[in-house]
Amino acid sequence: MLGFLKSNILSKFVVAITGIILVGFIIGHTLGNLLIFAGPEALNTYAIGLRDLGPTLWVVRIVLIIAAILHVITTINLVRQNKKIASGYKVSNYKASTFSARFMGYAGLTILFFVLYHLAHFTLGFVDASTFNMEATLENGRVVHDVYSMVVIGFRNVIVSLFYILAVSFLGLHLKHGIHSMFQSLGIHGKKFTPMIQKVAAIVALIIVISLISIPISIMLGIVGGQV
Amino acid sequence: MNLKLHIWRQKNNKAAGAFEQYAVSDISEDMSFLEMLDVLNEDLIVGGKDPVAFDHDCREGICGACSMTINGNPHGPEKATTACQLHMRKFNDGQEIYIEPFKNKSFPVIRDLVVDRSALDRIIESGGYISIKTGSAPDANDIAVPKAKSDVAMDAAACIGCGACVAACPNGAAMLFTSAKLKHLNVLPQGQAEKKKRTIAMVEQMDKEGFGSCTNHYECEAACPKSISVEFISEMNFEYAKARATAYRD
Amino acid sequence: MKLDAKIPEGPIQDKWTKHKFDIKLINPANKRKYKVIVVGTGLAGASASATLSELGYEVEAITFHDSSRRAHSIAAQGGINSAKNYPNDGDSVWRLFYDTVKGGDFRSREANVYRLAQVSVDIIDQATAQGVPFAREYGGNLANRSFGGAQVSRTFYARGQTGQQLLLGAYQALAKEVESGSVKLRTRKEMMDIIVVDGKARGVVTRDLVTGELETHLADSVVLATGGYGNVFYLSTNAQACNVTATYRAYKKGALFANPCYTQIHPTCIPVSGDYQSKLTLMSESLRNDGRIWVPKAKGDKRKPREIPENERDYYLERKYPSFGNLSPRDISSRSAKEACDNGQGIGATGYGVYLDFKDAINRLGKDTIAERYGNLFEMYERITGDNPYETPMMIYPASHYTMGGLWVDYNLMSNLEGLHVIGEANFSDHGANRLGASALMQGLADGYFVLPYTIGNYLATADLKKIDADTPECKATVKEVEDKVNKLINVNGTKTPSYFHRKLGKLMWDNVGMARNEAGLKHALEEIPKIREEFWKDVKISGTGAEYNISLEKASRVADFLEFAEVMAYDALDRDESAGAHFREEHQTPDGEAKRNDDEYRYVAAWEYKGVGQRPELHKEELDFENVKLAVRSYK
Repeated sequence: MLGFLKSNILSKFVVAITGIILVGFIIGHTLGNLLIFAGPEALNTYAIGLRDLGPTLWVVRIVLIIAAILHVITTINLVRQNKKIASGYKVSNYKASTFSARFMGYAGLTILFFVLYHLAHFTLGFVDASTFNMEATLENGRVVHDVYSMVVIGFRNVIVSLFYILAVSFLGLHLKHGIHSMFQSLGIHGKKFTPMIQKVAAIVALIIVISLISIPISIMLGIVGGQV
Repeated sequence: MNLKLHIWRQKNNKAAGAFEQYAVSDISEDMSFLEMLDVLNEDLIVGGKDPVAFDHDCREGICGACSMTINGNPHGPEKATTACQLHMRKFNDGQEIYIEPFKNKSFPVIRDLVVDRSALDRIIESGGYISIKTGSAPDANDIAVPKAKSDVAMDAAACIGCGACVAACPNGAAMLFTSAKLKHLNVLPQGQAEKKKRTIAMVEQMDKEGFGSCTNHYECEAACPKSISVEFISEMNFEYAKARATAYRD
Repeated sequence: MKLDAKIPEGPIQDKWTKHKFDIKLINPANKRKYKVIVVGTGLAGASASATLSELGYEVEAITFHDSSRRAHSIAAQGGINSAKNYPNDGDSVWRLFYDTVKGGDFRSREANVYRLAQVSVDIIDQATAQGVPFAREYGGNLANRSFGGAQVSRTFYARGQTGQQLLLGAYQALAKEVESGSVKLRTRKEMMDIIVVDGKARGVVTRDLVTGELETHLADSVVLATGGYGNVFYLSTNAQACNVTATYRAYKKGALFANPCYTQIHPTCIPVSGDYQSKLTLMSESLRNDGRIWVPKAKGDKRKPREIPENERDYYLERKYPSFGNLSPRDISSRSAKEACDNGQGIGATGYGVYLDFKDAINRLGKDTIAERYGNLFEMYERITGDNPYETPMMIYPASHYTMGGLWVDYNLMSNLEGLHVIGEANFSDHGANRLGASALMQGLADGYFVLPYTIGNYLATADLKKIDADTPECKATVKEVEDKVNKLINVNGTKTPSYFHRKLGKLMWDNVGMARNEAGLKHALEEIPKIREEFWKDVKISGTGAEYNISLEKASRVADFLEFAEVMAYDALDRDESAGAHFREEHQTPDGEAKRNDDEYRYVAAWEYKGVGQRPELHKEELDFENVKLAVRSYK
């Protein structure tokens, strides 16, 4: 099944397609997270709504996990090969390459560690079991997992927040290069289209970074979650 | 002008190489970069030292022989210019210049700045041609080729095979070279019969040579003396995947 | 020695067809038993290697480049002629034949030229089928343009890179045969000498440029496709590696060198800017369509061009040749520039340059139109000189560009040395005393794709070839000769670089055996060349050894041969006491400064036989008969 790893181009296809899935997830996830600004009721309702999807949620989760794994092992394999063949120069001097393009690998690895931590923190509850087991009562009387409080308490920890901000910034750089690269890798290129998609990628990345970073900052400044 | 040069010296493929420092003086700004090296070499020979070996031939930017990395840029800092057409007026008096061979594991160093680029020829040999035997061609105007297609073929065919794209790529990929040749032949009606076979063969030979993969830095396009577009890489990606996906039909 | 050109009988139109029928064929199954060595992988060499391999012969292709795509054919810009008559403007095989003979100033062999015009049609078909992206009309058909003063549009072109695209076509055809296994391609190997056994060319000795190893390559026939000798002038538009060694070595082994004095000078090159200059870059002649050529009237006028008022400028071509003016033919335009500079009116740092001014054209047509026509050329000029031709006039000067002379061959492209075939610029056969624009590519490919592959079969089928191997005494002796030459070069251990001698020789040749020659100058050259050669063998300095990648050794070995060859060239120029085409003897000109031929005495091919270093070579004449075209005097007044 991993035969595509032998081909550079097919590997790039896999990276691009899994990239699309992951970008889709990030956009959805960001939109969901922004509900924190609408208060505990909105966020907790959204969270339980996802849980209620049941098997569908698991399908989505499995697709995401597979996409992430393929994305990671394929890129690691490509980077390893590339490092072997290109040894670099005494003086580095770039004409076209951007920082985000050269930073893809480091950013990717940081994001990977962050995602594992993030899952452990907010999905699996390994980091702080006490906040993970908090409950809230919705307006309709249903008692649910209090995601809102968990997030707020989590982000009051300065170190957690700083790590989050750093990782999200790297994610932005990763997306800036990644979103336009997906199109190039899949063969979608045009004299007008490519510069346009490069701009779009940068804007989307920036919006995602600002949106996500606004959450811990708002919490630390006490703008959000004061009542918890 | 006076310059301080740091040049990669390596006796042969087996020897270890190192930078050596040379001071050159009274360099005219009308000299080409290679003429500046000629002047250095004349001095070295008279002094009983080995001159710096570098590949070069036409010195008018078309043969693709010259190949050196100047301060980190293959062919030097000028856009769309080979090292032989780069002139010293682009440098400043007293500047330090690092001169290295085109670096890539698939381009082994032969001596000093001379590297073996035969991997690129092997990519062409694997399928970079239209199989027409001499004498069997139909009248040239039997095949009408829309001007737009012919122009694109020419854009791609302008590649001089110097390998700067490979040398500039942070990943050591040969995708600009390979994709340009594929585009040249694949866009023409004459090239259709072998299109799929050619695409698969050349891409796989490229992988076999050990070249890296594209991560869209576009350094290749920026280093290319003929400004060949990375658009061709994108298209090669698609055409290769398509060829592989439909190979079962053949 | 009786020179037999082996021209087939019959009317000129039928000679080639009849000859193809008459020559002996080799059974397809037997062809693989014959091996051919092709030296050089430019247009002629690559096309010949590929075609011979397709026919079934075993081929060994040898090049001193790192790849078979680098030969200097690649630098040809303008185009390739063909008698396709697609524009329907009255072109025909006969007209191309006539124009070529006339352009060569009636010093070429009619039968060869006619065949060239015939197969020119097939070349375009072949190249197009290979995917050469010739320029096209919107309807999808091939475009043509008029070139070099031709009255019909018969030139096919691929932007300004026609030579590159045709070479890539041939290179790809060769790559296909390398892949199939029937061509063994040897790169970075320089032919050092030719192996002759029983009077037949049977192989070559090469030096591996990476390891220095001397190797013996044996075959049933040897093909030289090693280009011209324009670098005898040191500065020329040729590539750095172009040299005379392969053809000169064959000459020393008995092949005759024909018409070495016919060297073409191109009028529009970027002038020399200093002693360090390594080459001259050609600017397309099309620039002369809109540029006006002038020099200051006053000698030694060092003012900036824009500060020189109109009435102090000498538009010498317009003055001397009012009807053709700036579009006068290459040789006239070149000589006029030299005259002006010799007269002290030259411009630029060295005084060897003339202005090519676009100011009037820009005023008349607008900058945009000029940019559209010549934008890329202006850019190239600015890159090299740092001057902007939109603001200040270009500086140009003539430079050596192409050599019509070469090894003597018969109609089958075989030298008098049996088994040695010579194709492309390396032979002398088709251009006479001057070559038309866009005809070099045509001849290289005609020889390689369509002529040699037939005629070599006849030789192989009829030759009596004994079995030889690397231990055959002649092979060992040749390797020894090469080894001795390499050692001799290294052991001189003098004080001056090979380039020093090359520059010195080049200047002598340019001044005395260049675009205008006279008896005194030629005799002076014949006195001086041996002196430079003597100094070379006493004082040349080469670093390193013969057993490594050694660029100073490579260079010295080539310069050593130029130093001998230059004498043959000067002898030929002295012997040809007439002006013909590119060979201009100042003693023989019309009152208007036109070349004046002497058909009664010099209507022959001068083929020179080697008699020893420093000895006058022996002249053999091949009389030229003109049965189909009438000898005429050209006039461009």
